[in-house]
Amino acid sequence: MALRAQFENNNEIGVFAKLTNSYCLVGIGGSENFYSIFEGELGETIPVVHTSLAGLRIIGRMCVGNKNGLLVPNSTLDTELQHIKNALPDKIRVQRVEERLSALGNVIACNDYVALVHPDLDRETEEIIADTLKVEVFRQTIASNVLVGSYCVLSNQGGLVHPNTSIVDQDELSSLLQVPLVAGTVNRGSEVVGAGLVVNDWCAFAGMDTTSTEMTVIESVFRLNEAAPSNITSDMRASLIESMS
Amino acid sequence: MENASVFSEKFDLLINGNVRIVQLEAGEKNEDESPSREGWIPPNPDKKSCSYCRVEFTDNQTQRDHYKLDWHRYNLKNSLLLKPPVTEEEFNEKSGNDDLSSISGSDSEKEDTLDTYATAQGKIFLKSESNKVFSLYKCLLFDKKQEVTEALLLERLKACSSSNNQWTILMLGGGHFAGAVFKDNQPILHKTFHCYTVRAGQGGSQSSRDSKSGGGQPKSAGASLRRYNEQALVQHVKSIVEAWRKEIEASSLIIYRASGPYNRSVLFGGSVPVLDKYNDKLRTIPFSTRRATFTEVKRVHQLLSSATIYESLECATSKFSQQVSPEAESKRNKVRASCINRAKSRETVERALPTEHLKDDSDLEFETDPNDKSELITEDLDVSLEDLQAFGDSLTPEQRKKAKRKKPKKSKAKKSREQEEAVRKELFDVIAGGNVEQLEKLLEDHRVGFVEDERDKASYDFINRVVDDESNTLMHVAAMREQVAMLGFLLEKGANPCMKNKNQQTAYTCTQSKDIREFLKQFAKENPDKHNYNKAQIPINALTNEEIAEKKKASRKIKKEKEKVKRKENDIKKKEDEEKERFLKLSDREKRALAAERRIISQSGKVTKRCFLCAADIGGKVPFEYMENLFCSIDCLKAHRLQRPVLL
Repeated sequence: MALRAQFENNNEIGVFAKLTNSYCLVGIGGSENFYSIFEGELGETIPVVHTSLAGLRIIGRMCVGNKNGLLVPNSTLDTELQHIKNALPDKIRVQRVEERLSALGNVIACNDYVALVHPDLDRETEEIIADTLKVEVFRQTIASNVLVGSYCVLSNQGGLVHPNTSIVDQDELSSLLQVPLVAGTVNRGSEVVGAGLVVNDWCAFAGMDTTSTEMTVIESVFRLNEAAPSNITSDMRASLIESMS
Repeated sequence: MENASVFSEKFDLLINGNVRIVQLEAGEKNEDESPSREGWIPPNPDKKSCSYCRVEFTDNQTQRDHYKLDWHRYNLKNSLLLKPPVTEEEFNEKSGNDDLSSISGSDSEKEDTLDTYATAQGKIFLKSESNKVFSLYKCLLFDKKQEVTEALLLERLKACSSSNNQWTILMLGGGHFAGAVFKDNQPILHKTFHCYTVRAGQGGSQSSRDSKSGGGQPKSAGASLRRYNEQALVQHVKSIVEAWRKEIEASSLIIYRASGPYNRSVLFGGSVPVLDKYNDKLRTIPFSTRRATFTEVKRVHQLLSSATIYESLECATSKFSQQVSPEAESKRNKVRASCINRAKSRETVERALPTEHLKDDSDLEFETDPNDKSELITEDLDVSLEDLQAFGDSLTPEQRKKAKRKKPKKSKAKKSREQEEAVRKELFDVIAGGNVEQLEKLLEDHRVGFVEDERDKASYDFINRVVDDESNTLMHVAAMREQVAMLGFLLEKGANPCMKNKNQQTAYTCTQSKDIREFLKQFAKENPDKHNYNKAQIPINALTNEEIAEKKKASRKIKKEKEKVKRKENDIKKKEDEEKERFLKLSDREKRALAAERRIISQSGKVTKRCFLCAADIGGKVPFEYMENLFCSIDCLKAHRLQRPVLL
């Protein structure tokens, strides 16, 4: 299921939210509208947590996480860290990272098994990522951009990358990540896909400007649509024909 | 290279004609514009490949491993800098030479180009028509905010030098004022004065202190004195500038230094400012200055008005690269020195050995004597040699002792080390060869060398001995060489499986052999309390063979039962299928007959109780009854009775 959302009239919702398979973090906004969209869709399955990091609302760009853990930058306040730890399930490890490139969401892109990171990231940080998030870490660029977190969105089902990514690069990346990739945009042509889209294995939220075409691409690459055309011809065929005859 | 004043004739000649801005560039350029990464197409599109390093892989795992290599990272960085990739051999060579600046670098350091270094000092490099390069302070030509354009260049250059050589310099700071108007290197007007405005203890001006404190202003005598002086300073400056107004307006440049908001407000503040803020002649001094005095003003003028002339562009470039390198070098050294990794062993530095001083004193005297021109005094002395006999070789006792002690000690240590080495080697060979008897003999020999009480300890030490540089013990060697018998012997003699080698591996983990692991597990099972198997990393909760067999049996049983049930179901299904088939084979008439037969059977056989009137089935219900006649409902009963009135 893919939905459109807006954070205080801003379409870059990936900046204000972090969505994984086991939790969802949402920045503290002026109104509860943004939070309600997430809570309404996810509330029954995973915790949706209001939080700030280092007093900022741009949590999606500051932190990185998956079903196994969450990494927050060194500037995170103790109270915020405690709040996150309290709100998330116990099995999720929350870890503070001392890294010069402190916008972790911009420099790291990951799903539950693999992570792509900025080529200049510290080796120590790389180890922390591997340990905490339990992923295999690769230093990569996407379309000659070092900010892999901004220009790539990954789930366990698929991935969306910067529209300028060459076919060779896409092939390499998808063989590295073991998921199908597609080069595309969000928010009516924005190439900063990481900022316009948050996604997990069964749900995606994109900015309000996202066109239907973009939505279709997102739904198909992340396999969010259970009633895909292939299902109509295979699984549902018998029942449909019976009811129509 | 030479210096010349901008007012001199030489300079005038230089700028006579066209003048262009030049950029200094380091001598070496990126000579090869290699094809970009996108230009490379993997020769075999079906195979896995890495376009950064231009290699292909046979399977996924090798590709993944490749992405973690330093070589790949280096090429990744290169591709970001639009440099061509290096091959693995080249990379190895480079990393061997240790000139990889940083592969994983949060520590990447921005490298300054020669031009940024040269222009960082606020200078501009220009080229005259005669191909001479000269540099002068950029502020003479352009304001800080102005764009540097070639169109304005020559006009400005002439305006400030040859056509009008009158400059005004004003400096203001810390209550000091110094101002002068220069005409061709000579000050025609100048004035310097000082007012007490700076707070002596804390620093800063009084007015800024007053504005900062929320409550009342300090009422001390000093504070009011400074307040008064501040106003006096403003008045003073104003009167001076007013007096010089004509000269200042006539000058081509007004160069000032007024740091901080207070000092600026003196010059540009107030309802009628001393100077016009938007005057395009105004310039700030582009380097640091000392206290505002007349000598300092002269120095500023001298520095600003001098231009450096180079013979050619190459000359300027080389001059600057010379200047840059030592500083850059020292900077780099400093960085390196500050982050010594103390955890790592450092390279040993070869130092010259100190010269030996074993020669006796008399010899030394002899050698130094020739220079000594003082007269020798000869004296005859009777010396008894008897008490000197002990020191016949003319060495002092200390020296002799030292000399004696040193050598044997050294050789002893060496010898013991060699011996140790030999023993180790022998042990290693014995273990590797799997020669149990010989090891037993060696152990026995070792034990004999100790007294009775210490023998056990000695044999324990012997068994748990480290035999190679990787700090592998006998156990490790036996495990790696897959000598099961040897391992058994060692364990029996009390070898400790918890010992770790340099790679933090125990005997169990250092081997890949299944036999050895099985053996160790078995041992652990049989002697559960002998060692800490957790520490030895031997899984003890693993099942023994019998248990495994039992488990297998049980699972097989369950499987069999399942199969039985399945078979039964299959049988039933089969029967049904057969029935169906038989039915399908019948002709339609037969089918109809069968159906009729069935109907009759069902009609006659099943239903026993029926309503006497409407003949409905009342099998399961309690019937309504009169005179042993049964009915389904009251209505039926009534109707029946009305039809046949009872005869009384």
